[in-house]
Amino acid sequence: MSLGTRIYAELRGDRTIWMVVAILAIVSILAVYSSTGTLAYKHQGGNTEFYLLKQFAFVAFGLFLTYICYLLHYTQYSRVAPVLLLLSIPLLVYTLAFGIEMNDARRWIEIPVLRMTFQTSDFAKMALVIYVARAISSKQEYIKDFNSAFLPIIVPILIICGLIAPADLSSALMLFTTCLIMMFIGRVDMKYIILLFFLGVVVFAFLIIIGHLYPEIVRSDTWISRVQEFMTNSDGDFQTQQAKIAIAEGSFFGLGPGNSIQRNHLPAPFSDYIYSIICEEYGLFGGFVILLLYVLLFFRVVSIVTRSPKAFGAMLVVGLGVSIVIQALANMAVSVDLVPVTGLTLPLISMGGTSYLFSSIAFGMILSVSRYIEKTTA
Amino acid sequence: MNIKNEVLIRIYIVLALICIVAVIIFGKAIQISVVDGEKWRARGDSLYVKYLPVNAERGNILSEDGSLLATSLPFFEIRMDLKSTAMSDEVFQQNLDSLAVCLATHVFTDFTVGGMRGYLEEKRKKGERYLLIKKNVSYTELERISKFPLFRLGRYKGGFIVKRQSKRERPFRMLARRTIGYVREGAKPVGLEGYFDQILGGTAGKQLMQRVSHNTWIPINDLTEIEPENGNDIVSTIDVNLQDITHEALLRGLNYHQADHGTAILMEVKTGAIRAISNIGKVKNGWSELYNYAIGSATEPGSTFKLAAMMALLEDGYIKLSDSINLEQGRADFFEEVMLDASYHRLDSTTVKRAFEISSNVGIAKLVQKHYGRNNPHGEKNNGSRFIQRLKDMNLHIPLGIEIEGEASPYIKDAYSEKDGWSGTTLPWMSIGYELTITPLQLLNFYNSVANNGVMMKPYLIDQIQNFGEVKEVFKPTIIKRKIASKNTIAQAQELLAAVVSDGTARSLKSSKYNFSGKTGTAQINYRKFKPKANIRYQASFAGYFPSENPMYSCIVVITDPKQNGIYGSEVALPVFREIADRCFATKIQLHEAINLTPKPKLTNNKLPVGTVGKVEDLAQVMDQIDLTYYPFTKKEWGVLNARSDSLRIQSRTLSKNVVPNVNGMGLRDALFVLENRGLSVSINGYGKVVRQSIKPGTTIKGQTIKITLR
Repeated sequence: MSLGTRIYAELRGDRTIWMVVAILAIVSILAVYSSTGTLAYKHQGGNTEFYLLKQFAFVAFGLFLTYICYLLHYTQYSRVAPVLLLLSIPLLVYTLAFGIEMNDARRWIEIPVLRMTFQTSDFAKMALVIYVARAISSKQEYIKDFNSAFLPIIVPILIICGLIAPADLSSALMLFTTCLIMMFIGRVDMKYIILLFFLGVVVFAFLIIIGHLYPEIVRSDTWISRVQEFMTNSDGDFQTQQAKIAIAEGSFFGLGPGNSIQRNHLPAPFSDYIYSIICEEYGLFGGFVILLLYVLLFFRVVSIVTRSPKAFGAMLVVGLGVSIVIQALANMAVSVDLVPVTGLTLPLISMGGTSYLFSSIAFGMILSVSRYIEKTTA
Repeated sequence: MNIKNEVLIRIYIVLALICIVAVIIFGKAIQISVVDGEKWRARGDSLYVKYLPVNAERGNILSEDGSLLATSLPFFEIRMDLKSTAMSDEVFQQNLDSLAVCLATHVFTDFTVGGMRGYLEEKRKKGERYLLIKKNVSYTELERISKFPLFRLGRYKGGFIVKRQSKRERPFRMLARRTIGYVREGAKPVGLEGYFDQILGGTAGKQLMQRVSHNTWIPINDLTEIEPENGNDIVSTIDVNLQDITHEALLRGLNYHQADHGTAILMEVKTGAIRAISNIGKVKNGWSELYNYAIGSATEPGSTFKLAAMMALLEDGYIKLSDSINLEQGRADFFEEVMLDASYHRLDSTTVKRAFEISSNVGIAKLVQKHYGRNNPHGEKNNGSRFIQRLKDMNLHIPLGIEIEGEASPYIKDAYSEKDGWSGTTLPWMSIGYELTITPLQLLNFYNSVANNGVMMKPYLIDQIQNFGEVKEVFKPTIIKRKIASKNTIAQAQELLAAVVSDGTARSLKSSKYNFSGKTGTAQINYRKFKPKANIRYQASFAGYFPSENPMYSCIVVITDPKQNGIYGSEVALPVFREIADRCFATKIQLHEAINLTPKPKLTNNKLPVGTVGKVEDLAQVMDQIDLTYYPFTKKEWGVLNARSDSLRIQSRTLSKNVVPNVNGMGLRDALFVLENRGLSVSINGYGKVVRQSIKPGTTIKGQTIKITLR
């Protein structure tokens, strides 16, 4: 029996999603290796293999995490959700106060022994999505009620998003949108969702006012200037122009792997702008395939939900699937200059870090749900 | 509607939305790549970005005592990026007025505030990304300008661009200029700067720069991508005072004799450290250090080389200084060539020592020819090889490997070599310093070995490599050869050199205050045998050391082509040597014997600095320095001097932390330190030591002003 067939036989769950994971892993290694040239030159004295091996290790560890999460029964996640959520609040506060400052933003803390940086918002995001999935599914009987269903769900959403927003607005907005969509699909009354939307707007306005008074706490100056730049300058600022040049250079079938030129000019070609590099090296064709993979993922999510629409598992899959897909779309939208510059990575492709590992975990959880739903329906 | 259907309808709506967004994204990608493709591809070629080097700060060259011989002075160019992406309209408008005021009053003084405001607005509208604010800005000025409104927001939000440049300065100007050297684009690196270029230069950093117009590059990020590593400092062996003395003396000599060029080197006998090295040549309107003659120019030395010939003869045991020799009234024939003594004398028979003292060409040449030439009394057939071997034993044929590029190799002919043009007259002429070449430094090093009792040191110019005061590498003195000749030969060589000064050619300038030893030299530069004497040019030299009894410095002075006031080594080079030696004695306390070696007088109570208060460490240091016996009675920080009958004691003085301390007896520096550290304002009257303080010791401190009187 060949290795391929053995893996095929071993892995249960949604095989299409497994395939998406595998393709993304390969693309990630290729694209990161190609785009870390300048980084290697800057920090490793030109040793490009350093980042290749590092990303290889990340991918391997990510796949391992995916597999572990896939093995666990997804109902386990429901049990730990409140604890994780409670844990994430002090973590976020600590990060805002004492986190490591990079590029004017405090989003990271350092793990003492491993000397690795850790983006706490990724952790909080995961905890919140699981919690909201659990809350929505357990309150299905009286979901349209305000006091007993709506309030317990939105309070944590507002707290967590409010704590992430000062340093990382785009992540907070994305998480907020994910939660809104989860509530929408989870049958929360439309009028409450609209109410929540406006509540979000109010909180956002409040943050901008704080940012104006205390620029070192909230980065509202940066937000305003980015949006201003986006609105006024039709060609985009320096990095956006570089990203567009990359896409244009790629044309239909690209310059070929490793032949990107713009990687030298883009500020973060291995994370924020990796989609531009993929378009440059693999052309519109490559860009289309990547886009298709994420959309395909969501198709599979819908198919899981159709099989078990009420359960916690369904809501969990919706939450995680939506958050991955929205993040991917947001990242690509930045590269093609549809939205102002954000700091969002392309899930499971951008160079390692906390967000890569949490994306791997998210995929594992989705696969776990698909596996056990398969079991019960079979 | 049942629950299941409601969920499914809603999820299909979300799926549809996601598909629509995906289509929009891909549509935009197609628009960029296909519809606007040409435009962006064209832009790709023009929006050029690359890494440019950021120069590291070059290290300093310090003298032995820490004076700066060469240093880099930083200066800055300030530019403004009015189109910086992070500079919002709101922030710009808010700061525009105040920035215009600052710029119009401090920088663009011919602008009115209103004019400045309009100028900035216009440039912003035009999208000026590299507006020149000011060139050649000093560091203090930069500090001030960077505090201006808008600018203080930095590179992104304030558009404030600083370009760092630096200028190499030699604070002592012409002093040792050639030895310190330079590194310039398009020119061969010279001197210490050239030799230690790598160490001084550090490693350049890198910064991502964007081209905004034809030849203008501006940094994209605020910080340098790769920080440059600053160069190390090198501490040279040059002593600025001795260098100054040497330079002045040589310059005076060159001027007086209207010579073409000259060199003077002063070296420490025991270590080989070069304390001063001066090279001065004539230029159009004055003098300048343009070439390192001391190291780069090997010439025929003339009579100064006779010492080597004598030492060869002595080492082989062929002669004794008391042997008698016939000088033939200063004229002798060697194979149809006539050799003359430089100065007229009528001596027939005299001693070998005397022949050396008066620098008789005939005497030395005859001795060498007799013992090493054909028909020598030792029965050796090719004894010339023995002479050459003796010279080589004294390392006269190999370069020294000094830390400066371009050392010329000495040239000594191989014995009987046809290729080298060996002839019958080679031996006699070599013995008086012709048919061979050597650099002034190499010859000095030979004399230095004689002064150093036969131990040949390697001359060196670099003591240490430092980085921000931290010592990275120390260069210790190196021995080239432990023994260039036997003890006996060295002693006799020293006797000969002393005799030159006491009774010989250097007699006229001997000093009554100290003894020095050395040898004069007068070489004909362009002697071609049988040429009329009128056109001959000379090289006058003197090599020696002082004080004779326990030599501390060796020194050589070589002056080429003197045109006035004499041509001889004793007339031209010796006075320069003497001036250098005199002034060394005047400045270097180590050259003098202590005059107070008698037992110390007993302390008398009334004239001691009793009552002085200061740091115990400082008091002890002063006592040590003036050699007073004292007893340290305390190990505390502060102390007071007290006298008890015949001895001085340092006793502890407690300075309370929370109340006004007693500062009576302190110097101003200590008093200020103590009082201001405790939060008091101090007003001062007089100088000397504190005799009165306006607030009594022990009063509570409330930030009062205390008046102290010093006397």
